Amino acid sequence: MKNFDFALLGTRAVQYRLVIMLIAVAVFGGLSLDDFLTVNTLQSVLDRATVVGFLALGLTPVLIAGQIDLSIGSIMSMAGITTIFMQPVIGNVPAAAAGVAVGILIGAVNALMVVVFKINSLVATLATLLIFASLALLLTNSYPLSSEDPIFGLPLTADFLWILTPRSAIFLIAAVLMFVWLKLTPTGRNLYAVGSDASAATSSGIYANGYIAASFVLSGFFAGLAGMMQSLSTAAGSPVAGAVMLIPAITAVVIGGTRLEGGRGSSLATLGGVLALGALTTALEYNGVPSYTQAIYTGLLLILLISLDRIVSGHGGASSRAQRSVRVAPRNTPLPRRTA
Amino acid sequence: MNQLVAPAKSLDKSKTPGALFSTLSIPIAILVLVVIGSIASPSFLTVNNLTNVLNANSAVGLIALGMTFVMVTGGLADLSVPANVAMGALVTLGAQETMGTAPAALMGLLVASMGGVVNGLLIGYLRINPIIATLGTGSVLLGLSQLLVGGGIVYAQPSALSTFVKSSILGIPVFIWIFIFVALILHPLLARTSFGRWSLAVGGNYQAAQASAVPVRFTKAAAFAMTGFLAGLCGVLLALSNGQARPIIGTGYEFVAITAVVIGGTSVFGGNGSVLRTVGGVLITALIGNLIILLGFPSQATGLITGAIVLGAVGIDAYFRRKAGRL
Repeated sequence: MKNFDFALLGTRAVQYRLVIMLIAVAVFGGLSLDDFLTVNTLQSVLDRATVVGFLALGLTPVLIAGQIDLSIGSIMSMAGITTIFMQPVIGNVPAAAAGVAVGILIGAVNALMVVVFKINSLVATLATLLIFASLALLLTNSYPLSSEDPIFGLPLTADFLWILTPRSAIFLIAAVLMFVWLKLTPTGRNLYAVGSDASAATSSGIYANGYIAASFVLSGFFAGLAGMMQSLSTAAGSPVAGAVMLIPAITAVVIGGTRLEGGRGSSLATLGGVLALGALTTALEYNGVPSYTQAIYTGLLLILLISLDRIVSGHGGASSRAQRSVRVAPRNTPLPRRTA
Repeated sequence: MNQLVAPAKSLDKSKTPGALFSTLSIPIAILVLVVIGSIASPSFLTVNNLTNVLNANSAVGLIALGMTFVMVTGGLADLSVPANVAMGALVTLGAQETMGTAPAALMGLLVASMGGVVNGLLIGYLRINPIIATLGTGSVLLGLSQLLVGGGIVYAQPSALSTFVKSSILGIPVFIWIFIFVALILHPLLARTSFGRWSLAVGGNYQAAQASAVPVRFTKAAAFAMTGFLAGLCGVLLALSNGQARPIIGTGYEFVAITAVVIGGTSVFGGNGSVLRTVGGVLITALIGNLIILLGFPSQATGLITGAIVLGAVGIDAYFRRKAGRL
């Protein structure tokens, strides 16, 4: 019986991990800092989590579809420098739109590589990660661009509705909209079917490749949005702005509970993951913990949660990503060859 | 499923365009690069230039050799490589003063191997997704390595070992000898031993391998432990030959190594691949990097061209495989 209770405790801990984490951070922050539990802190946590949040939100449908997108950081950099570069040329709002459009375009390139050319998404987006990170450096000659109109982006992070800023409000609305799409519409539910078993989904009349392609375009769109907002609110387009963003984004999605194996996940869970991670980083930062030590905590948290999840859910039945890929694209299966 | 019937089909596949493409592509690619290089610049085809190119790429080549095993066993990729390189380098230089160069280097190797073992336990035994597990351990280890040195640069003391690492034997730098030596051990390990067959079986069909009493968990864990060790070796050698080390010493090495393995033709799905092909992949990426500089392109273009080549090579390979599958 004792063993059973322990397992139940573990299951509950995994189930309510976001709540536990947020409470733990609030207690830790409240005890260690005088003015942590204030509206201002909450506003700042939300606002700063927005950039990682958009990336994580875009990544969610890709992971649900059983794919991965490593190129979101590079997309973000490209969108940021496009926005800042185009500002004096075509005006503020069209430039912002151009930044997002660049994101969508690169997302479409990813979709083309994965769906049409049947390249494994890990390899395809690794390649586009390299290509667009390099292109961003080439276009800017490795120097950040500064905005011609630094005032334009400031309202994005200004005060708005109690604990919100305009960009965090957009982020929250986007998360809720995505939740409605994923859970309440037929197309959203089809995406889960594609992620759990693409060939079964195809057999039941779902155009799996279309959903996979759409998820990459969506991910590009959100990464473009993240890049556009980041560059406008800092009034600078850095070619390496997105390079450090990939790992926090994946961490946030995984803390939320979306599986890399596909077929499971939710945008509200991602929202929770983003907030928990954001609150933790802010609490550590306010305590003067250097950023490299924060990386230790974030990494440990990621490993701990995922191990706990794995131990609780048991070893059986979980197929590895590679095996699932075989089912996703049977034609793409490499034939084992005898190596000389 | 498909994999179970595949070997029977592949016996009679030696003359299809796909098989020809995959056997001949690497030597042809190297030849083409050498021809372009010698036309483009008179300084390309000199012993000095080629030695330098190989010397500069041997470090990341060592990691690519380990990454081959990771991919063959279906472990996708080890993204904690930069952290293990940094650990190897920083521990070596950090401990050099107190314990002497050789023990410090051993210590660096040991710490990086421990990182690899942790990866192996998480991925092989707990069966956590390799991308997530290595992102997590990479984040922790890189943070720890920075904590060790307070985030700054560590400088090396002059020592006999670092003089040796920087020296040449028979006109070939020690770095290249080490790369050749490791490749000569690992190629037969994958191609000729039971451990190699286990690796291929685990990556080809995990359940079938498990059913055939292959130690699936150990095999997968060993691939990550090996990559951790080789990343550490790379870090130790870099630290000793550069005379300094920073936490960012291995940044981007994971991607370069994956690129080399993928260009070499090892499948990211696991189940097939060869160390010799990875050596070819390392040569190709090395020559491309050299050509970019000799042709006068800015060095930032390296990622652009490498990425395009990965897409091209993998795309063509996937095309031929699909075609062969239909025949």
